[in-house]
Amino acid sequence: MLALVLRGFLQRKLRVLLTGIAIALGVALMAGTYILTDTINHSFAGIFHTADETKSVIVTPTQSLGKKVRSEVSPIDEALLARVRATPGVAQAAGSIFSPGSLLSVHHKRLGGGHAPEFIASEVPSRFESFAPVAGRRPQAADEVAVDEATAERSSLKLGEQVIVAGTGATARVTIVGILRFAGGQSFGGASVALLTAAEAQRVAGEVGRYDQLDVAAAPGVTPKQLRARIRAALPATVVVRTGAEQAAADTANLEEDLGFLRTFLLVFAYVALVVGAFIIFNTFSITIAQRTRELGLLRTLGASRAQVLRSVVEEGLLLGVFGAVLGLLGGIGLAPALDGLFKAFGADLPDSGTVLETRTIVVSLLAGVGVTVLAGLAPALRATRVPPLAAMREGVQIPPRPLPSKRALIVRFAISLVVVVAVSAASKGVGIVLLVAVVLRGLRLRYRLRHHGQQRKYRIVPALAGALGWLVSWRGITARLARENSIRQPGRTLVTAAALTVGLALVTFVAVLAAGTKATINQTETRSFAGNLIIESSQRGSEVGIPPAVAPALRRVSRVASVTAIAFTVGRRRGSSSNISITAVEPSSFERAYRVEWKQGSPSTLLDLGETGTILTKSYADSQHLKVGQTISVLTPSDHYVSLTVRGIAQDNAKLLSDLTISRALARSGFGQVEDALDFLSYVPGATDAQVQPVVDRLLEASFPQVRSRTAAQFKQEQANQIDTLLELIYVLLALSVIVSLFGIVNTLILSIYERTRELGMMRAIGTSRRQIREMIRYESVITALIGGILGLVIGVVGAILVTTFALSGSGYVQSIPVGTLVVLLFVAALAGLIAAQLPARRAARVDVLRALASE
Amino acid sequence: MDATASSDGYQRIVEAEDLRRRYGEGEAAVDALAGVTVDFPAGHFAAIMGPSGSGKSTLMHILAGLDRPTSGTVRIAGVELTELDDRALTQLRRDRIGFIFQTFNLLPVLNAEENILLPLSIAGRKVDREWFDRLVDTVGIRDRLSHRPAELSGGQQQRVAVARALISRPSVVFADEPSGNLDSKASGDVLGLLRHAVDDFGQTVVMVTHDAHAASFADRLLLLADGRIVHDGDAVTAEQALDLMKSVG
Repeated sequence: MLALVLRGFLQRKLRVLLTGIAIALGVALMAGTYILTDTINHSFAGIFHTADETKSVIVTPTQSLGKKVRSEVSPIDEALLARVRATPGVAQAAGSIFSPGSLLSVHHKRLGGGHAPEFIASEVPSRFESFAPVAGRRPQAADEVAVDEATAERSSLKLGEQVIVAGTGATARVTIVGILRFAGGQSFGGASVALLTAAEAQRVAGEVGRYDQLDVAAAPGVTPKQLRARIRAALPATVVVRTGAEQAAADTANLEEDLGFLRTFLLVFAYVALVVGAFIIFNTFSITIAQRTRELGLLRTLGASRAQVLRSVVEEGLLLGVFGAVLGLLGGIGLAPALDGLFKAFGADLPDSGTVLETRTIVVSLLAGVGVTVLAGLAPALRATRVPPLAAMREGVQIPPRPLPSKRALIVRFAISLVVVVAVSAASKGVGIVLLVAVVLRGLRLRYRLRHHGQQRKYRIVPALAGALGWLVSWRGITARLARENSIRQPGRTLVTAAALTVGLALVTFVAVLAAGTKATINQTETRSFAGNLIIESSQRGSEVGIPPAVAPALRRVSRVASVTAIAFTVGRRRGSSSNISITAVEPSSFERAYRVEWKQGSPSTLLDLGETGTILTKSYADSQHLKVGQTISVLTPSDHYVSLTVRGIAQDNAKLLSDLTISRALARSGFGQVEDALDFLSYVPGATDAQVQPVVDRLLEASFPQVRSRTAAQFKQEQANQIDTLLELIYVLLALSVIVSLFGIVNTLILSIYERTRELGMMRAIGTSRRQIREMIRYESVITALIGGILGLVIGVVGAILVTTFALSGSGYVQSIPVGTLVVLLFVAALAGLIAAQLPARRAARVDVLRALASE
Repeated sequence: MDATASSDGYQRIVEAEDLRRRYGEGEAAVDALAGVTVDFPAGHFAAIMGPSGSGKSTLMHILAGLDRPTSGTVRIAGVELTELDDRALTQLRRDRIGFIFQTFNLLPVLNAEENILLPLSIAGRKVDREWFDRLVDTVGIRDRLSHRPAELSGGQQQRVAVARALISRPSVVFADEPSGNLDSKASGDVLGLLRHAVDDFGQTVVMVTHDAHAASFADRLLLLADGRIVHDGDAVTAEQALDLMKSVG
């Protein structure tokens, strides 16, 4: 039987290729994702290893709130360093600085690479140094700097040139004395590094007298583990002591966790593409089995059992799956760099070197590709077993439909799905409502099927939509009319073909509606809440670089500025809890001049009562934790100690500036180690205008704090919208793959349908239909199919987004907004997709040989 | 119509000269037509008979512009077919030729009326309602106009096909075994319709058949064997036709 399957394969090269690609694209994204993330991981593991292997023991601050949360006030000070040095077995110990900062040209142009981070690093004794100068030397004086090779090349920096290094503590103008290369030859992960002398690095980073890390070398005869134990015993719990190897492993594991998000994010799109591919496999197999009824009947007549027929079809799926999966895996190897490029284009610089192809990638990709293909082909394969031997003898024998389920079976099925839905809803509140809708829909369907029991299923939606679409092009005459009729000839087939496109477009629509709503919400809530004139923010939005604490006082001295209020964000964890809460810190005396708070309990004067022990909760947090005014909670801070906070008020903030907890700015500094501000709100004196104040503010910032910039409320909102749009575009690009996969489905269905209609096409050509008219007819049919998919996708996407936001975001001030323009564009995209998909089938149809077509039975 | 008038006063609608058609190459080459010269005057009903492989279908395909001869010329209503490109040939078939097939070949997605009007729809021509009504009444399917082919009997389908072939008032109708898939009653009806089209509408009909009974409806009988015309004569009875067939084996 396998030989027969193989031969069939070779005879249907085009179809095998088209369906194979439909699966291969999903597999390629999957394999590409694994390869990309493995490669990044591999590169970073190399960097960490190189950086830490020279050190016997490394001391870093304890991060009780997770690896991402770090107090800006390091617990590692000179006294701690002295204690390490005094520990027996320590040959050498040195503190180092490695803090996010900004590296700029003297003309205030950023020198970093795109969106990769920039770091301020301190010079350390040569045995701990991971960087070696390729030109010049390491810095020796406070006004000297060495920069990494990649940054120097990118901005063509020369020795002797001046640059600006800006940190939390200060902005320094320094001279380049060296160009550095990271040991081991790897690039430093795309990041830029400015190496200063230890004292200058501390000053610029705002960590005078403190270090981010201690590097320790063991004396001869002392193992790193022994030394680690001794140092551990000598130091307080506010620091972690690891061997160099342990530190590298910890950093790698940490990164792996970060990459996990990226991996999951990308894999979601791979799964979507695979689901769409499954639709196409299912459809193709269904059609080919219908077309091969006679052949299958012959096999049965010749004595093939049902099991053998089933096996032959499943084997075909298996073979196709292997073909698609291998194709996909190869594609994935090519796609990984493209994905990397995609992220670079969207502003995320992910370092990688070489291509890491793990066995896991190969296994998972092959399993996914083959599994999806075989599963999708199973239902058609089972259908093939119902072909009666009689089909071999007679023309036009239909495969008997699956016996219709009895009324009882329908009710039982409904009951089962009801139980599943209730169970899932109970498990997670958010999706419950959506599932409820699903139950209602299923209930309606059950009612319909019970009422029309005994009838075969009809696909009313296809004729209805095709009718409407056909009517739109009816002025195009007979070709459009025939296209419409042909598209509803096999409504089930058209529906499945269209459904493949529906999946992708529904997701695109869903995301687009959500994004439009989010933008509308931001616009409305910020307009309502923000009462100031200018917003001061980091020039590197989304980076770890914040606003130095000196900015707000400096801005207060600008003329026509009435007030500047600083806002900072930090996190904490309630005693006994395992998850972090987010915290906003505000300056009580000036906050309400620039921001309107909707008080549920409390008043503007509540802010003034905050002190270092009070907090304000958002209503949603208070409700979820059943907290009331007057209660006291204990919160662990990034500085690794607990503070007690008494609830003074409860507020609603739809603009989401206020977090779970709001505390005073002073407490954030003293208790949470939060030195930098996240935002400063600036208000003018009455009558002052942007034109009068903003240029003065900008001049001040540029001269003293080049890592910070000012934005009007409108500019700020525009940039938030741009950020959403960037994410949206990234998602569009990734979903485009699913749409492309569905194109192959349309092509496939059309080619198979054309094959079925060869005689008709021959007759039409014989009685004088031109090739052009035939092509036109096929194109209309394709566009109608694509638009059916598009319209269904749009409807599902819009309704889904409205349902989810209505129920999941109720009470959060979410503003619904339907991006009509985008939806219209999407319909055009669907139509265009249909047009593209029709190219090959249309040409084939037009090329039909009249005589042979008329002779074919 | 610019067809050339022959000496006997008829207009020759279809003229073929020394048609040869070779399939394949070298040793395996087969001459389906080995030099056929024939013409069909306007307003006549001609039947082409011959055993399987005699070349009768090939002849009809070439005369109708569906196939090209290896050598020789074909003119329809004065237009030289062998000089036309695909587009011009398509247009000629559309405007000058009507087709009736053995397997009816109606479009299943269109109803009877739409099927009849299909050639006009394709050409984008206006419907002559009077002519349409006359045709519908002649073929007798007025009460079936809104039915789709699947809802019609074989005879009804072929009558629709006849109306479709005549709707554009073609110069010539080619019928390929028009009664081949019909029972004798329906067969007689359809052939009677073709006869009627020739007698009452002055239509020119060329029919290929291996059915002697069908041939007896024609004015003229051509017999083909091994790619050559072996008999060309006036109308005959079914029995005579059968005898003629036997003679060429």
